[in-house]
Amino acid sequence: MTSPSLHAIRPCLEGAIPAVMSTCASDGTPNVAYISQVVYVDEDHVALSFQFFNKTRENILANPRASVLVLDPVTARFYRLHLHYLRTETSGALFESMKARLAGIASHNGMADVFRLKGSDVYAVEHIDAIDGEGLPSVPGRTGLLHRLRLCSERMAACTGLDELLQGALACLRDALGMRHAMVLMLDTPAQRLYTVASCGYATSGVGSEIALGHGVIGVAARENTPVRISHMTHAALYSHAMRSSLQAGTADDATLAPGTEIPYPGLPAPHSQLAVPMVAAGRVLGVLFVESPQDLAFDFEDEDMLVALAGHLGAAIDLLQTAPEASETAPSPTAQAPTVSGATVRVRHYPANDSVFINDDYLIKGVAGAIFWKLLRDYTQAGRTEFSNRELRLDPSIRLPDVADNLEARLLLLQRRLQENNPPMRIEKTGRGRFRLCVACPVLLEELPG
Amino acid sequence: MTALKLLSPEHIAMVDRGVSVIVASRDAALRPSVMRGVGSAISADGTRVTVYLRRSQSRQLLQDIEAGGGLAVVFSEPPTHRTLQLKARTATLCPASPADLPLLQRYLTSMQHELAQVGYGPDFAAAMLCAPLEDVVAVGFIPEQAFDQTPGPRAGTPLGAPTATP
Repeated sequence: MTSPSLHAIRPCLEGAIPAVMSTCASDGTPNVAYISQVVYVDEDHVALSFQFFNKTRENILANPRASVLVLDPVTARFYRLHLHYLRTETSGALFESMKARLAGIASHNGMADVFRLKGSDVYAVEHIDAIDGEGLPSVPGRTGLLHRLRLCSERMAACTGLDELLQGALACLRDALGMRHAMVLMLDTPAQRLYTVASCGYATSGVGSEIALGHGVIGVAARENTPVRISHMTHAALYSHAMRSSLQAGTADDATLAPGTEIPYPGLPAPHSQLAVPMVAAGRVLGVLFVESPQDLAFDFEDEDMLVALAGHLGAAIDLLQTAPEASETAPSPTAQAPTVSGATVRVRHYPANDSVFINDDYLIKGVAGAIFWKLLRDYTQAGRTEFSNRELRLDPSIRLPDVADNLEARLLLLQRRLQENNPPMRIEKTGRGRFRLCVACPVLLEELPG
Repeated sequence: MTALKLLSPEHIAMVDRGVSVIVASRDAALRPSVMRGVGSAISADGTRVTVYLRRSQSRQLLQDIEAGGGLAVVFSEPPTHRTLQLKARTATLCPASPADLPLLQRYLTSMQHELAQVGYGPDFAAAMLCAPLEDVVAVGFIPEQAFDQTPGPRAGTPLGAPTATP
């Protein structure tokens, strides 16, 4: 019997096969129970999900020793972890990532209010037994991961603009990592919301769609600055099916345990795997890189490692491209030939309350991007201006950009994309770093609604 | 409460059919030990249960049971997670004999069927439950306590008591 490192048995900690845990009461009575999550914390610690006040809980508080049996889902080899209970965390990154995992699981069955994590029990791993057995041959680990990461890094490093960078990153995910359904969301800190700026692999791009900070897998990843990965929804759904029938059998007198409503997720209608990774630069969460799959177990811990590395590069590049010194702005390009204005008058309506903008009654955009668009159109209709700079937007009090981390480039990109997708006879095109042009090919009538 | 009342016919049938079995005990310092069984059997009236362990995989556990640490055993259907826990203070250990072979084989076949329903093939089940007879120990016990251990807030409800309280 050898003693592997915790890192070496990470495949067993993916939750594919439920772990079992034995504890002992202070009177010496042993207990054994299934446990839904055994999570790798670091080389010396695991966290176990604490969902119910049960015998295991009672035992562990009285006698902190536990023995957990895990199984490798490929080789069918067992490992026994000898654990010592340290503490229970009820907030923070570890707790929230485990809770989101459970919430994701539970939402499939309307169990969100019941299948709730009370705490993340952190245990020191004192010893690991590799248990004798015949087992199956291990599948050779994926090779070339570092090379693939290098390809992504090179491609992103070559990008000179935000749009190119985001499209490049999504292409990297798809081509180098085989992740076909992905989104990049930026964090709007004052609004406490995340908005989609780029996506791939969906019927509609969803650009401009929003998620509240702390909501769902993506919102939690951003709020807690931690990766959140759900990799086995089908199996977990079975787990909660069992719980629900257990509940229905015995809770007629407890209305507080009635099944709750599901958490709606963006993206795929029936995702089986999801992974949300915060994009962090200079210690600040800029947004979230999110991937998902209709397959179970689509993303393992190595995918998570890769995506964290990639999101770090992406975050740094986004930060850099957005905070490029204004001095580097190129001189205004010669005024281009103004587009021919023709056709029916297009009515653009602005609601100052939330800066939402509608074009001929179709919703276009709101928030800071809405305020920007409204300013551009006013300057266009009042003064015939078509050339603009980022600098003047930053100085314009009507746009109310935050002082730091304004994500102006991301907001312009969002506006540009929304215009492309809605296809009114107007668009925005970049004319250089920190400069862009408003192109309007129709008569425009602006309507400002009372604030 | 007699042992006869402890288990319902449904529970006896579940154990008899052959589902996942996990065995735990503890040493004198109350350190828990645990291992998966490679087989199980139950008498028709549910009063006698045998679980099979591999000695090479369960040295501490077997030592703890022999030393009087008692045992806790869960039986669980992988596709539904319907789970039963039995407890006993004592057990008898004896090496498995060729007479146990058909039983171990029947258990493996049942587990292959159970695990197929959660996506694991027969080879996986066979590797997981591989049980060379010379390495197998039969642990026989009379259940003294039984609990519904199906995951959820009611897990831990004692069975067989006139009024079950969680």
